[in-house]
Amino acid sequence: MDELYPEIVIAGCGNMLFGDDGFGPEVVERLKAYELPDNVKAVDVGLGGPHFCFTMLDNGVTKKLIIIDIVDFGAEPGTLTKLRAEDLPPGSYRDAHSWDLTEPLTRLKDTIDIMVIGCQPKNVPSADFELSISKEVEEAIPRTIQVVLKEIGVENGNS
Amino acid sequence: MDEAITLSKVVEVSPTTRHEGHSKLVLKVNDDGIIERGDWISITPVRGVEKLAIGKTMEQVPKIASRVCGICPIAHTLAAIESMEASIGCEIPEDAYLLRLILQCANRLHSHALHEILALPDMYLPGTDTKINPFSPEEPVRSVAKRIQTLRMVGQTVGEIVGGEAVHPSNPRVGGMYTNITPRARAKINDLAKMALPLAREQMEFMIAIYRNFQKRDWTEVGGKEIPIPKDLGYHNQGYMAVDPVYGSSSLDENPTWFPERWTEVRPWDWYMGEQEITLEDPSYPVGGTTKAGTKAWPQMEACTGVPLYDGQPVEVGPRARLVQYKNYDEKGTIGQHIAREMELMDAVYKMIEAADALNCSGAVVPDVIPQGDGSIGWAANEAPRGCDTHLAKVRNGKVEWFSMLVPTTWNFPTCSRALEGAPWQLGEMIVRGYDPCVSCATHMIVIDEDNRLVAEKLLE
Repeated sequence: MDELYPEIVIAGCGNMLFGDDGFGPEVVERLKAYELPDNVKAVDVGLGGPHFCFTMLDNGVTKKLIIIDIVDFGAEPGTLTKLRAEDLPPGSYRDAHSWDLTEPLTRLKDTIDIMVIGCQPKNVPSADFELSISKEVEEAIPRTIQVVLKEIGVENGNS
Repeated sequence: MDEAITLSKVVEVSPTTRHEGHSKLVLKVNDDGIIERGDWISITPVRGVEKLAIGKTMEQVPKIASRVCGICPIAHTLAAIESMEASIGCEIPEDAYLLRLILQCANRLHSHALHEILALPDMYLPGTDTKINPFSPEEPVRSVAKRIQTLRMVGQTVGEIVGGEAVHPSNPRVGGMYTNITPRARAKINDLAKMALPLAREQMEFMIAIYRNFQKRDWTEVGGKEIPIPKDLGYHNQGYMAVDPVYGSSSLDENPTWFPERWTEVRPWDWYMGEQEITLEDPSYPVGGTTKAGTKAWPQMEACTGVPLYDGQPVEVGPRARLVQYKNYDEKGTIGQHIAREMELMDAVYKMIEAADALNCSGAVVPDVIPQGDGSIGWAANEAPRGCDTHLAKVRNGKVEWFSMLVPTTWNFPTCSRALEGAPWQLGEMIVRGYDPCVSCATHMIVIDEDNRLVAEKLLE
């Protein structure tokens, strides 16, 4: 039986209704144009990362989780950063459905290699929906794809 | 009346936990801590999906609708698409309906199983005073957790096979589905469902035993105190609203089962309490204590959702509403609600198998012609895991002129507020959790500490 989540999972997190927060899902969308190895799956998890993905990775198969998301780390918009699970401030991927607000990544990080590829956003509206990714973040998307492909060992030839 | 109010104390639990979104409880309690009046309100700002939808194509709007919530993308996708179809007057092929039905069941199976993880920490291991930690590595909890995970995996895998994606379904479209599934994929759905069936039965029986055991208890521990459990925990006298035992209804149906003319909406201002000062605080309440005394709460101003009424009254939607409406189920209260949810587990799997068997894998799943709409109003009500999710739309020449979402928990806010009355305030959240609430979603962004203690490794210049 094919596993719902294979050895390597790439999870695009965020909400396209909030400007640059659509970065993660958009990266995943474009990754689908590439031929990914059979042991890799790229998923647009939207806002459902904790309950539809992270809490399902205790399947004994998944070894690596690459999260694509926006991160506010005080850099210029469009700058990329790489974070480990232990670098994340508390509450980063809080599963609202979990026991005592324990974060699923905390439970996972000893058994799975977790990496976050984050992009500094420019525009994340706080109240109203806005369907557009800023130019700076847009330009970071192809670079992010190269980073991901390198991370999963895919030679792409145009990096 | 005035005297009673001055004797009451006000306590606030904010935010409530173990559910999706942001909400809070403002509770007026008597000297014994019993809730005299409770307001459970959403504090997630309204996002204006209605506004954003105007002028977008009828294919775009369901994709937008599926993003308002991180846990209900399937229900919102189906309800939004079907509201477009209802507006343009498009009947979908039978095999497309069967695929959507499988998707619906897959969603329900996953969601109900997930809710068990949320509900278990309030429950006790029978014969002990130990609450259940669903992540405990010890038996019997470990096997139960494994079973829950397997049921979730089956729900999500079947959802992916039919929906095209593991989380946000991409296969449903206005008019039906983009593609049918292969006979091999259908066989896989059957295998998974048949594996899930005995597990769903065991899980249902286990959970019901746990809930029944809780009903026999006199007290439960909250924040280190023994809180008495009233026999009528979570009872309310409001009615129920459901449109179908499993799937839904739309204005295209010959006999629709939802009636827009019975629905009215009032402002939070007309329904919730006015400004209150918090006069009771409990630092030991998990997690992190209640709101500090002296803080002001103003439910009628802070509530972010309108109050929908059916025949002029709040109604309950969700598993119990479906069972009451279609099976004469009659158990009230929080535990009755949890048990109703468990009783839906098996049917989600049976219906999945039935639909897969009936499916013709080479049948058309999209009609030859898809009308583009003349601006007529159409609605579709989907029986989402948490209850009736109604979307309404007007489409003209393929473009959306008007769109509205009437989501399940919006119905349950005022109903659950009534159900809080008579319970010790410490059990308020437990009553809320019986509704498996989904309070809409916000953005998500990681914010690294300002002092840059966590030095980010920059990848590229």
